[in-house]
Amino acid sequence: MRVRGVDIDDSFAEAFPMKATRLVVTAHDPAWAMHAGVAATGFATSVIACGCEAGIERVLAPAETPDGRPGVALLMFAMSGKELAKQVERRVGQCVLTCPTTAVFAGLADGEPIALGRNLRFFGDGWQTAKVIGGVRYWRVPVMDGEFVAQETTPVVKAVGGGNLLLLATGTAEALAGAQAAADAMRRVPNVILPFPGGVVRSGSKVGSRYAGLLASTNDAFCPALANLVPHTALTDDVRCVLEIVIDGLAEADVSAAMRAGIDAIAARGAEAGVRRISAGNYGGKLGPYHFHLRRLMGEVAL
Amino acid sequence: MTLRLQLRQPPALRVDARVLAPGALAALSLADVQRLCLPHGREPLPLAELFDVERAGGDDDALVLAGDLRRFDGVGAGMASGSLEVDGAVGDSAGLGMSGGRLVIRGAARDLVACSMRGGWLEVHGDIGDFAASALPGDRDGMRGGTLVVRGRAGARLADRMRRGTVVVHGDSGDFTASRMVAGTLAIGGRCGAHAGWGMRRGTLVFAGEAPAPPPTFVGMQGDVRVFWQLLARDLERFGAPFAGLARRDVRRFAGDIAVDGRGEWLVPAT
Repeated sequence: MRVRGVDIDDSFAEAFPMKATRLVVTAHDPAWAMHAGVAATGFATSVIACGCEAGIERVLAPAETPDGRPGVALLMFAMSGKELAKQVERRVGQCVLTCPTTAVFAGLADGEPIALGRNLRFFGDGWQTAKVIGGVRYWRVPVMDGEFVAQETTPVVKAVGGGNLLLLATGTAEALAGAQAAADAMRRVPNVILPFPGGVVRSGSKVGSRYAGLLASTNDAFCPALANLVPHTALTDDVRCVLEIVIDGLAEADVSAAMRAGIDAIAARGAEAGVRRISAGNYGGKLGPYHFHLRRLMGEVAL
Repeated sequence: MTLRLQLRQPPALRVDARVLAPGALAALSLADVQRLCLPHGREPLPLAELFDVERAGGDDDALVLAGDLRRFDGVGAGMASGSLEVDGAVGDSAGLGMSGGRLVIRGAARDLVACSMRGGWLEVHGDIGDFAASALPGDRDGMRGGTLVVRGRAGARLADRMRRGTVVVHGDSGDFTASRMVAGTLAIGGRCGAHAGWGMRRGTLVFAGEAPAPPPTFVGMQGDVRVFWQLLARDLERFGAPFAGLARRDVRRFAGDIAVDGRGEWLVPAT
């Protein structure tokens, strides 16, 4: 399949079940909400060593938040509900509670509740109070700038992690420009985040390693430096740089929509912009239950 | 179909009306409903002697009582589900201990409205007496859930020892409002009597109408509470005038009663 000169591989991304929650963080103005959001979702690129994968889903206007102030929506994904609960408590406690003027609310309506303000209330040293409004309990903790208001719990839902696109380009600058354009388009899709730095990962991995104890290692089939050295290379001579975009989303349909948006953004620029081919990473289809076939995303009907 | 009971004439003595529960009566045939006995003074009285009974259009788990029920105490007491409407006034203890469902009284009520209420919605269109949303004798706390809306005036000791839930009074409230309040939210649209918040431990008292001067055991609180105020005021606005536009008003805050726990608050919106 070729769209505006860009080859779409007959491949699929293999993704995994995760647990996720959405938090709404508001503040006195958009800048302070962003400070809290950036801090709370920092060091959250991969569950391999960060505990969770997190990002700022979008900026919220005052009319969209419970207290009528500007805010941000954060999405956090982890492998288990228990780990997610731990990450939420730590990140909100260290990065939202601490940030001037913030308040934090749940961003989903239904799901298994985990603690949000419930455990942070003890910071009030006995001066904290709770209030039930409309059936929802909020904790109010006196702090130096007034009060930290936090909804007691936040719902957790089943989600999908690890959707991906591999962008094969003629050079570094071309790969970066293409990846940036794709990431910008994908971020406009609701219910998804791109957890890696700038939304893009350069160190795509494969399962296994020659070293005992290393679960993942460099995806040698897509390394340009190894194209003429490994027998199973996926690359042709014209590919000098490959970048990957990873997507975590609340539902399968959200990940599909994001991948489609990324492919459309690359195709719109045409092959002459430098990204010649789009592929996707998988583990043979045996590990993850969610498969996103690139050609099917582009509307090709399976025979 | 909705069960309708029309009072034939007011009883000579007081009647305990707690058996008139929408859920329970919905399951009975008309004949069984007519045979139900209500305590009348010391003697039980068959329902058919007090009420004309019929089933007409409407929901199955709904019950309508019509007439001057001022001698009927415990209307809606212990209600857990369904809808009970009263076209007329009721006596004491309306909604006592109710835990769910919807009770609407289109007239006045006497003392102990919503006493020990646990959940549900209780609305009184007329005035109410004393000790609404309070505790049963011997109980440590009073109303602990649900919503009580009074369109008229409330008497004395409103929300005495209230523990949780929301009470909204459109009109005035009497002396010792929110006495010994443990927690919960009470919003008053009109004026308030003397000694409000006496012994208040926690909880929130919102004076949407004319606020009394805070007593010496309530102290001013500086500090920004605008986030909490937006959450609370927006929720109170849905009760209509005099709470309309509440979220747009700046608010002053007082903490007390510092003679006891002192984590309660008065919220006084600017006029």
